[in-house]
Amino acid sequence: MGESQIECIALGKQYTRNKQTINVLNDINLTINLNEIVIIKGRSGAGKSTLLNLMCGLIKPTTGKVIIENKCISELPNNELSRLLSNHIGIIFQSFNLLPTYTIYENIEIAMVPDGSKPRLNKDVIMSLLEQFNLKEKATLLPAELSIGQQQKIAIIRTLVRQPSIIFADEPTGSVDDETAGEILHHLKYLKEQKGATIVIATHGTVPESFADRVIFIENGQIKSNKK
Amino acid sequence: MSIIKYVIKELRRHLWRTVAGISGYVIAAVFILLVLSVTKSNEKDSFGILKGTGTHFIVYIPSNISCCVSCNNEGAGTGGYLFAEGVLTIMLDNDLITSIKKIDGVKDAAPYLLYKLYDKKLNTEVSLGGIDTLNIATKSNVCAATNIIAGKYLSDRQDEIVAEESFAMAHRLSVGDTLNIYGGKLVLAGIINSGIRPGKADIYAPIENVRTILKEKLKCMSPGFDMNIVLVEVTDARIQKRVIDQIKKEMNYLSVSSYNCYEPASKVMTIVEKTSGLLTVLVFCFLIIFSTKTQLTSLIERSREIGILKSLGWSDFTLSRQILLTSLIQSFIGVIIGCSLGLLIILLININNFRLFDLVKFQFQFSSIPLLISLSLAGGVIAGIFPIIKLYRTKAGDMINNYL
Repeated sequence: MGESQIECIALGKQYTRNKQTINVLNDINLTINLNEIVIIKGRSGAGKSTLLNLMCGLIKPTTGKVIIENKCISELPNNELSRLLSNHIGIIFQSFNLLPTYTIYENIEIAMVPDGSKPRLNKDVIMSLLEQFNLKEKATLLPAELSIGQQQKIAIIRTLVRQPSIIFADEPTGSVDDETAGEILHHLKYLKEQKGATIVIATHGTVPESFADRVIFIENGQIKSNKK
Repeated sequence: MSIIKYVIKELRRHLWRTVAGISGYVIAAVFILLVLSVTKSNEKDSFGILKGTGTHFIVYIPSNISCCVSCNNEGAGTGGYLFAEGVLTIMLDNDLITSIKKIDGVKDAAPYLLYKLYDKKLNTEVSLGGIDTLNIATKSNVCAATNIIAGKYLSDRQDEIVAEESFAMAHRLSVGDTLNIYGGKLVLAGIINSGIRPGKADIYAPIENVRTILKEKLKCMSPGFDMNIVLVEVTDARIQKRVIDQIKKEMNYLSVSSYNCYEPASKVMTIVEKTSGLLTVLVFCFLIIFSTKTQLTSLIERSREIGILKSLGWSDFTLSRQILLTSLIQSFIGVIIGCSLGLLIILLININNFRLFDLVKFQFQFSSIPLLISLSLAGGVIAGIFPIIKLYRTKAGDMINNYL
């Protein structure tokens, strides 16, 4: 058993809409080890994305807690959470979350702003990554001028550019063709193997189970299986 | 990319929202500027009138015996005496004027020699006032050259006097008449109507001449002969009470007499001041409400984007700086445009002399520009505070999902 990096303890999330309470996640207990690739699988609405958002501190749990690198992130002050997100965590959103009025280059660059690194250095890193994904010539375009697959790649580059130690990816290959999906997974694998990253992927099935070290199946907000 | 670059990009990205934000400051700045230019210039005019309303009083030492008894043939036994407001007074020396002038708020002080003597030919008591003709305290307490209604005002000639209109009418006197009075021949140079004044007399002459008359012609015996009344002028009606209190405190042997006209004037001035202040505060409040609304709308519109930035590790502090800077830039640009526009409007009004504003004087207040800039920047900061609080309280995920 590897060293534990992410731990979810009795994690639960409820939403209240129009005076109705919806239980999205119930009593999730989960440990993800260092340098592990974990797939969280389940049908749409099972609670995968919510679990991912809870694990990276984007939303607050209703019950329980998430511990990353011995820190309970749901109780972290805002500035420490920002530091953690900036230095250790990378998030690939299902809907890419690119800023529509920023160029491709600027969309990647904004991920480097919190580091305060030098613009010249940033440019070299960004252009090199764009080249790797064959998007170098798209640097000055706006996201809307790119295909969905290319936008997904940009969202991934934006995460990779900071070389985070933990990557949370929500359907990273959900909107792309098989070839692009292969490229994306190849890059994620590279990060795990070469950079020692821990990767948590939420998917309804577009990512093959063989890609992961472990697959956790979620149904109705509860873990149904957790297998290697 | 620096934060400032993002701020400028953000401002340019939502150009119309930025224009709306800036226009709020422009309108507020123009309005405050116009309000200030009207109130301040009219305040200046009205204060010029009101400040001088009732800003004078007289001081003397009452007595039950006359310290200066006329002893020449004409005056002997006729009851000549120094007086003020119907009571006998004693002589005062010049040191008292020096002491009074030192009191904070006293604009000027003048000596006044007021003597009353029974005149057999006229068959009445005639009061003679010896005045320092050029002193402002004399002008407000006794009479001024502007009060002349016939003839001319006092000159250096030793035998010249001016008479109050009522006295001249009672005794059928005309300009140029010679009066055998006060032990000599005095020529009536002018007739004056000084109105209601605390130091009013029947006839007036320069104080030096009156001193000479009393000492040499009437052979009055009294030490000094400097004056028996001190006329005082204060700088502002609003501080008159304080000055009077101070004089009473420091020189409690003095009797101070004022017509208390300063009280309503002081009240009116305070009302004018408070009104312009209140208008400025009201406009400032509206400015803050408007710009806060703009900034909050901007935050709500940008919530998804800000949520993304937060998820990328942008700290609340960095984002707050961005919001604050956006707000400050808008307020600064707004106030600069507003001041320029205000200046232009005031210039146009003054150049074209718009009839509508005949009664209202617009005078550009350059001194109000730093105040306006400070107010606008403060407005910018305050407008940024609520969005920042919202930003700190909302999680990135909720912002991305627009659950503000």
